[in-house]
Amino acid sequence: MKRGGEGMLKHTLIFLGISLLCSIPAHAFDFDLQKVIDIAKKTQQANKGIDEPEEIEIGRGIASNLLGASPLMADDKVQQYVNQVGRWVSLHTERPDLPWQFGVLESTDVNAFATPGGTIFITQGLLLKLNNESELAGVLAHEMVHVLRKHHLAALQKSARMDIASELASEALKNKADPAILNKAIKAGTEVYARGLDKNDEFEADRMGIVIATRAGYDPFGLPAVLQMLEASNAQDSSLALMFKTHPAPHDRLSLLDKEMGDRFDTYPTPSQTDKRFISEVPQHL
Amino acid sequence: MKYLYALILYASLLAPVYAVQVAYSVRSTEIKSLPFSDAATIATLDEKAKVNILLRQGGWVKINSGKDNGWVRMLSLRSDSTAKKAGDSGLISLLNVGRSGSSGITTTTGIRGLSEEDLKNAKPNPEELEKLEKYAVNKTKAEKFAREAKLKSQPLDYLPSSVNP
Repeated sequence: MKRGGEGMLKHTLIFLGISLLCSIPAHAFDFDLQKVIDIAKKTQQANKGIDEPEEIEIGRGIASNLLGASPLMADDKVQQYVNQVGRWVSLHTERPDLPWQFGVLESTDVNAFATPGGTIFITQGLLLKLNNESELAGVLAHEMVHVLRKHHLAALQKSARMDIASELASEALKNKADPAILNKAIKAGTEVYARGLDKNDEFEADRMGIVIATRAGYDPFGLPAVLQMLEASNAQDSSLALMFKTHPAPHDRLSLLDKEMGDRFDTYPTPSQTDKRFISEVPQHL
Repeated sequence: MKYLYALILYASLLAPVYAVQVAYSVRSTEIKSLPFSDAATIATLDEKAKVNILLRQGGWVKINSGKDNGWVRMLSLRSDSTAKKAGDSGLISLLNVGRSGSSGITTTTGIRGLSEEDLKNAKPNPEELEKLEKYAVNKTKAEKFAREAKLKSQPLDYLPSSVNP
């Protein structure tokens, strides 16, 4: 891995060198080699991962911002219930030891969010549209995939804020990251939620989310049922505006799941003992 | 009599409520007598046929096609007309957002706070973050919660992607 990295650095240096040779007239040949090396190193670092403590720290900051936009629903029972469903599902992912935590936002908007490091939110608006625990597990599992695959961190790094990304990568080498740099990343990170992720990240979250929920013993068709509900919803409803803007059309998501799931999930029985507690724990249509 | 009413009320609370929903088949598909792939085939549903969804069970939905009642695979149906091109619904919603302006979405009822503008201007809320952290549960509690409803873990590999690279 390290060897490959050095190779990359060499290539980048050679490339930069050749570009400079071609573009700079001979009399201006006294370019600063150290500067070129610095740029190449920074570019290389930016493409490296952000370490886990940093990921969690950025995620906490974004979660705090999302809570600034909408506080938690003031209902201990429902918050605890969603945390238990979510934590159980999270045990069936590749990162079961992240500090997973779940919150129901008071907002009547229909949406769900994941922040790096394992904080997942679902809005009251979406929760009240669900019919059972398998649908809830499906939504939470979809969000968990964004954490597992680090979709938001990738979006942050891909965006115009390369400066932040490279600063973060160099901070990761130190014991404690600079709070000012983290704050920049948190601000840019929160903006990703207004813009949305790449549509292939959403398709991946559907495809992997279904498997995670099934591993936890839930009905594999919980998430597809939610997508069908969204598809049947009035697209003009303003409570769905951001969710529709930041996600591919439910129709397209269902078509891909149709292809990917095929008849492989025919043999999974649906859990029979979760419906009662869903109805008693989730306040219906306040 | 009182008990009977109570029983009916209880049953209606337990049964998931599905309003009759219209859907369209995306392909020609078999209508089965029961929600299983090896159940008897009652009839064949044509592509783009309109049906009423009566009930869902796992990956199957009970439908009424006007002629037949039976079960078809849930993912063979879409709630928007398949005559539309794929992606239309998303485009329509995008246009709507554009028309009303990202911040001009009317919020007549309910508590919103999660529009595009709200997210861009969001300020940290450390008090709520602290509350959130108190709700987190540990593995042992989660496992107990699963056992209470007889949820069992089962191994399953991720599915290959059908998205074209």
